[in-house]
Amino acid sequence: MRYLMMSKVTDTTPEPDERLYAEMAKFVEELSAAGVLLATGGLEPGGVRVTSRGDEITVTDGPFAEAKEAVAGFALIEVRSREEAIEFTRRFRGIVGDGETVIQQVFGP
Amino acid sequence: MTDVHRTIDAVWKLESAKIIAGLARMVNDVGLAEELAQDALVAALEQWPGSGVPDNPGAWLTTAAKRRAIDHIRRSQRAERKHEQLAHELERQQDPEPPVESEQDDVLRLMFISCHPVLPTEARVALTLRLLGGLTAAEIARAFLADEPAITRRIAQAKRTLAEERVPFELPDGAEPAGRLSSVLEVIYLIFNEGYSATSGDDLMRPGLCLEALRLGRLLAELAPYEAEVHGLVALMEIQASRSAARTGPSGEPVQLHEQNRGRWDQLLIRRGFAAMLRAREVGGAPGPYVLQAAIAVCHARARTAEETDWARIAALYDTLVRLVPTPVVQLNRAVAVGMARGPQAGLALVDLLADDPALRDYHLLPSVRGDLLLRAGRHEEARREFERAASLTRNDAERVFLRRRADEITGEIGGEAAGDTLGRAARAFLDRDDLDAATVRSYGQTLRRLCLALGEGAPLASVTSEQVARVFAAAWGGAAARTWNRHRSAVRSFCVWASLGDLAAGLDRRAETRSPVKGIDPARLEALWSRADVPLRERTLWRLLHESAAGVRTVLSLNVEHLDLEDRRARVGGAWVSWRSGTARLLPQLVAGRARGPVFLADRRPGPSRTPREADLCPETGRRRLSYERAEYLFKQATRPLDPAGDGYTLRQLRTCR
Repeated sequence: MRYLMMSKVTDTTPEPDERLYAEMAKFVEELSAAGVLLATGGLEPGGVRVTSRGDEITVTDGPFAEAKEAVAGFALIEVRSREEAIEFTRRFRGIVGDGETVIQQVFGP
Repeated sequence: MTDVHRTIDAVWKLESAKIIAGLARMVNDVGLAEELAQDALVAALEQWPGSGVPDNPGAWLTTAAKRRAIDHIRRSQRAERKHEQLAHELERQQDPEPPVESEQDDVLRLMFISCHPVLPTEARVALTLRLLGGLTAAEIARAFLADEPAITRRIAQAKRTLAEERVPFELPDGAEPAGRLSSVLEVIYLIFNEGYSATSGDDLMRPGLCLEALRLGRLLAELAPYEAEVHGLVALMEIQASRSAARTGPSGEPVQLHEQNRGRWDQLLIRRGFAAMLRAREVGGAPGPYVLQAAIAVCHARARTAEETDWARIAALYDTLVRLVPTPVVQLNRAVAVGMARGPQAGLALVDLLADDPALRDYHLLPSVRGDLLLRAGRHEEARREFERAASLTRNDAERVFLRRRADEITGEIGGEAAGDTLGRAARAFLDRDDLDAATVRSYGQTLRRLCLALGEGAPLASVTSEQVARVFAAAWGGAAARTWNRHRSAVRSFCVWASLGDLAAGLDRRAETRSPVKGIDPARLEALWSRADVPLRERTLWRLLHESAAGVRTVLSLNVEHLDLEDRRARVGGAWVSWRSGTARLLPQLVAGRARGPVFLADRRPGPSRTPREADLCPETGRRRLSYERAEYLFKQATRPLDPAGDGYTLRQLRTCR
């Protein structure tokens, strides 16, 4: 089963430094080696918002007021169980420090 | 399972391979390493529900397991100073984190050992899933629709074999690696295929196994990146897995490649497959079987519609593949590709070359492919019969329904059943008569079932020819003993007389029934047999005696206690002498201890009230009867199955010739 991990930064999220980059690289390598990590990436802050209401479609450029709620990065992982997904997420949070990650199962391919 | 237990299970599955591999390097025994790691798991199961899951559960398990390994080394070799030092060193080693490369090498070693050629294939598969995938015996049993005790035994036996053969915990070197690597690839692909095209049961796929195989493949690609074939296998599996959603219909029936909704193909996996293929190309070298199969899969994945498929290229790839892997299955796939690239006639010509191959006699895809080609060539009635045959051969329920439907669709087109009686109906009527006893029905039934499977139940009786029957016989029983051949032959003759047919056995010669020479057992395997501690005294004595005396099995089983001359190591039976040597001499007195008369080798149980054996076959002291040849043979076969490279087990007669 696949899970999408989406991570958000909070006020107390530390700025990334050399050590964090090194640990993250090791973690990503480990996940790839285990055949778990299918795709991952960081997301631009802000972005563009497209809303539809009735017949009307509105396109708004960011940044937005609630930017700190925005997803800053994602990873698509393939695991055997929800617990496995949680375990990987725990390890990830242990590396990056304060903040939060939401994991949701991806249905179907 | 509680949450904590589920977490422990997840952590275990992630970490067990690394833990076991690390321990195996310390204790140089994979079986022991696994047991020590299991001990750590048990400790976690005891402690974590109370104390909570530790922050770094993987490290906790690793440390706990290593501590057990050190304890074990200390305990078992306390007397030897050298080992004491070793334990100290190990303890010192434990503190700094081991370098990642060595950890990965350990896992690679573990993979090579789990797939070691001394093990039978089934054991390799089970051991790999167990040691590398962290699956329990119950999970493996469920995945392979086997029962759990059988899997547990298979794994235990595999570990024992590795220990007995003293397989070192090392990476293969010298000329070995190519063969050893292909064994690993084979096991991974076998696991994948068992998941992808479940060979039995009612589901067409068991996705858990596919995922397990994919993970093992991806892991291997990281551990052995310099091997093109590894990337080839990964590419092949990724691309095949990309089609999993599209290859079954709403009610679980298979959807063929050219009819699949390509929009449901998983582009992510396809891209991963392409990437793996690029890595294989970067490594270079002449493409091996997996790279070629992956290249074929890439051709399919590239085509946006079935019509766009580059069949000419696929056929060309198969031409190369069939030279490397000239197996009947590859040849059959090649026939499909050629049929698409160069027309159904060209395909049929290749398929018909395979019709007599014994390896394919029960392979449902042969008639299914032939049916497809016949249909495209406009030969509808023949096509229908092939689909029916295919349906009766497959063991997969979803596939059977699908093949039946294909046959029925053609029936609809050509308007009803063929006129006249069919082979299947005639066979059933023949066997249904009152004047046949049960044994004859069973024996005739085997013959006719084989004919029906090979020629199709729906084949018009009048159309069956003696040439067809001869071909079925050659494929099914060409290599069988003369008696078997003759038994089937007389069944066909009897059937022909009953059905007032011409002599369909005309093409079958009666075979002279001579005994084939019995092949002995390899002395090294025999040594392994003698050193087994789990064999009961009676069996050990019988086997030794047969081996040392070279007397006939019936003669030895007919021995009575009063015949034995233990002093001179011989016995007189039926006017001949049976003599033995030291191996038997050590065992025989224990076996007959306390008995003065009656059979030397006794059955385990007393005979039931309805089966009264001859007086001479009963033990006057215990009331048990003489051990029968059948039972003795069965026990020997069971016990020697793991030793026999063919996996069949040996016969007692082989024991007496291998001196």
